Amino acid sequence: MILIAESINIMSKTLGPAMRERNPKPIEEMARAEAEAGADYLDINIGPARKMGDELMEWMVNTVQAVTDLPLSLDTTNPVAMEAGLRVCQSKALVNSVSLQPDRLAAELPLVKKYSASMIGLLWGKEGMPRDANERCLHTVDLVYQANEMGIPNEDIWIDPIVSPVSVEINQVKSCIEFMSMLGEIAPGCKSTVGLSNISNGTPTQLRPQLNRTYLVMLMKYGLHSAIVDVFDSELVKIARGEMPEIVSLVHRMMDGDKPDLASLTPKEVEYAKTVRVLNGESLYSHSWLKI
Amino acid sequence: MAFEIPKTLYSGKIKEVTLGKGNKAITVGGETSYPFYLFEGKMPNLPRIAMEVWDCPPQEWAETALEPFAGVTDDPVAWAKKCLDDYGAEMIALQLVSTDPNGLDRGADEAAAVVKQVADAIDVPLIVWGTSDNDKDTEVLRKVAEICQGKNLIIGPVQEGDHKRIGASAIAYQHTVVASTPIDINLAKQLNILLGNLGVADEQLVIDPTVSGIGYGIEYAYSVMERMRMAGLTQQDEKLQFPIICNIAKEVWKTKETKISMEEEPTLGNAEKRGILMEAISATVLLLAGADVLIMRHPEAINLVREMIAELTAS
Repeated sequence: MILIAESINIMSKTLGPAMRERNPKPIEEMARAEAEAGADYLDINIGPARKMGDELMEWMVNTVQAVTDLPLSLDTTNPVAMEAGLRVCQSKALVNSVSLQPDRLAAELPLVKKYSASMIGLLWGKEGMPRDANERCLHTVDLVYQANEMGIPNEDIWIDPIVSPVSVEINQVKSCIEFMSMLGEIAPGCKSTVGLSNISNGTPTQLRPQLNRTYLVMLMKYGLHSAIVDVFDSELVKIARGEMPEIVSLVHRMMDGDKPDLASLTPKEVEYAKTVRVLNGESLYSHSWLKI
Repeated sequence: MAFEIPKTLYSGKIKEVTLGKGNKAITVGGETSYPFYLFEGKMPNLPRIAMEVWDCPPQEWAETALEPFAGVTDDPVAWAKKCLDDYGAEMIALQLVSTDPNGLDRGADEAAAVVKQVADAIDVPLIVWGTSDNDKDTEVLRKVAEICQGKNLIIGPVQEGDHKRIGASAIAYQHTVVASTPIDINLAKQLNILLGNLGVADEQLVIDPTVSGIGYGIEYAYSVMERMRMAGLTQQDEKLQFPIICNIAKEVWKTKETKISMEEEPTLGNAEKRGILMEAISATVLLLAGADVLIMRHPEAINLVREMIAELTAS
C-alpha cells in the first residue's frame, strides 16, 4: 500500500500563509515529519492557484525536495502550475488529478506524457459525481482509453473512484467499494487511489480516524494500490504496512457476510466491527455509532 | 409455476407511543409495514390529525384559513374548544408564536400560563410547539412542562442545542418530547440516541424530521421519512423506530401560493380551493412517507385527509 501524505495543503492554517509568504521553514518541517511518519509520496496541494501558480508550484517542489527524496504528487487545477512543478521534479511525479472534463483532459494528459509522470484518473464526469458503480466503470473505460491514446500506459494510471462522506450518502460509500471490486477486470494493470479522509468529512474530529482506518481496510479487500491519507495516524500506517492482520481479517470476513458476536471480540475489534456495519450500510450512521 | 408477488421482509416494528392522558389519550405508531402496505403488515393505530391553535392572533394568515376560526383567534382556549366542538379535533397543537424573540417575545411565565389554560380546558392530547430558538424554547418549554406536570403534553421542538434541559424537564414532569432535526436522517438518529442516553423513555419520544409543503421541497422530507421507515422496519434500527410528527400547516400556509388572490394571479385559480388543496395534498404526501401525526389548519383540508386515510385503510 502506497501512502500519499495529505498535509501539505494550501488550506492549512499554518502552511497556507507560509506558501503565500514563500516562507520555507514550516513547509520543510511538515515534509520531514510526513517522511518520518512513513509516507511514500508527499502531496503538494496548492489549490486552484490562479495567480502566480507556476512560480508557487516550482518553489514548493524545490522547497520540499531540499529535505526529502520522496516522490511527489502535484495537486492543482492550474495546468500552468502543474507543468512548472513537473519540470523541476527529480523523480517520477504523480499528477493529481486528471478528470473527464474536456478542458482538463486536453490540458493535463499531454503533460503526463511529456514528463513521463503518473496520473490520478479522477472519475469525475462531465456531469459531475458518478451516481453508482456502473457510472464509475464507464468513466474508467473512457478515461483509460483517452490516456492510452495519448501514449500513457495503464501502469501509470491511478484510478480514483471518489470517496464521499458517510454522513451524506451511504449508497455512494457502498458504490465506491463495489467499483473497486470491478476495477481489476475493467482496466487490467491500472493502479488505484482514494482521498481517504473524505469518508469522515463532517463527523466529529476525534472519531474521524476510526472511519478512515476501517474504510481503508475495506478498500484493501479489493486490492487498493494507494491512498491519500493523514499519515500521522499511526494505526492507519500500521494497517497499510500489514501489521494488523487480525483486524484486516475480521473486517474482510464481515464483508463476506460473517456476523461476529461482539462479546467475543477485543474492544478494538468491536470498534472496527461497528464501523464496518455503518460503512457497508447495515446500520445507519450517527455520531454515536461506536456507543450503540 | 404461479406468479408470486414479492413481499418486503420486515424485521422491526415502530414503537407505540401514547399521547395525552385519560380516556381521550391517543396511541400512535405500532406499524409493522411501510405506510398503508396493509397487504404486508399492520397499522394498528391510524395516523392522527392535530388541529393548530395559535397563542396570539395571526397577522398574516390567508383569508381562507382565518374564516373557519372567525371570532376565536384572539382567545386560544375558545379557539381550541371550537376545534373540538365544531370540527371534531382529536388533538390540539398550540403554536407558541408569541414567544418568538424576533416577534412579540412574550415571557415564559405568561406563555406557560396560556398553555395551562388550554390544557385544562380540553381533554384531548395537547402538542405544544415553541419557536426553534434554543434559549427561548428552553425557558418557555421548561416552564410549560413544570406547570402542566403529569398531563403528558407533547413538547417540541427539542433540538440538539436544547435537548438536555428540555429533555430533563420532560422526564421530571412526565411529558412526551418531539425530537427535531433539520431534514437529515443521521442527525435524527443521533438526537434520538442522545435523548435516550439522557433517560427519555422510548414511549415518550416522537420524531419531527422537519417538513415543508408541495413546491417547497417536500420531496426531501419524503426521502428522509421513507429512509427512517426503511431503517426502522427492515434494518432493525431501534433508534429510528419512533412515530413521526409533521408540523405541516404553517409551512403550507406561509407560501405565496396559499395567500395570493385570484385577481392578482388569475392563472393560479380559485384562492380558497388552492390553499385547502395545497394543505391536503402536502399532508397526504407525508402520510404516504410515514407520518403518524399531522398538525393541520383548515377543517376542509383535514376532512379530505381523513377521507383519504379511511379509503387507504378500507378493507
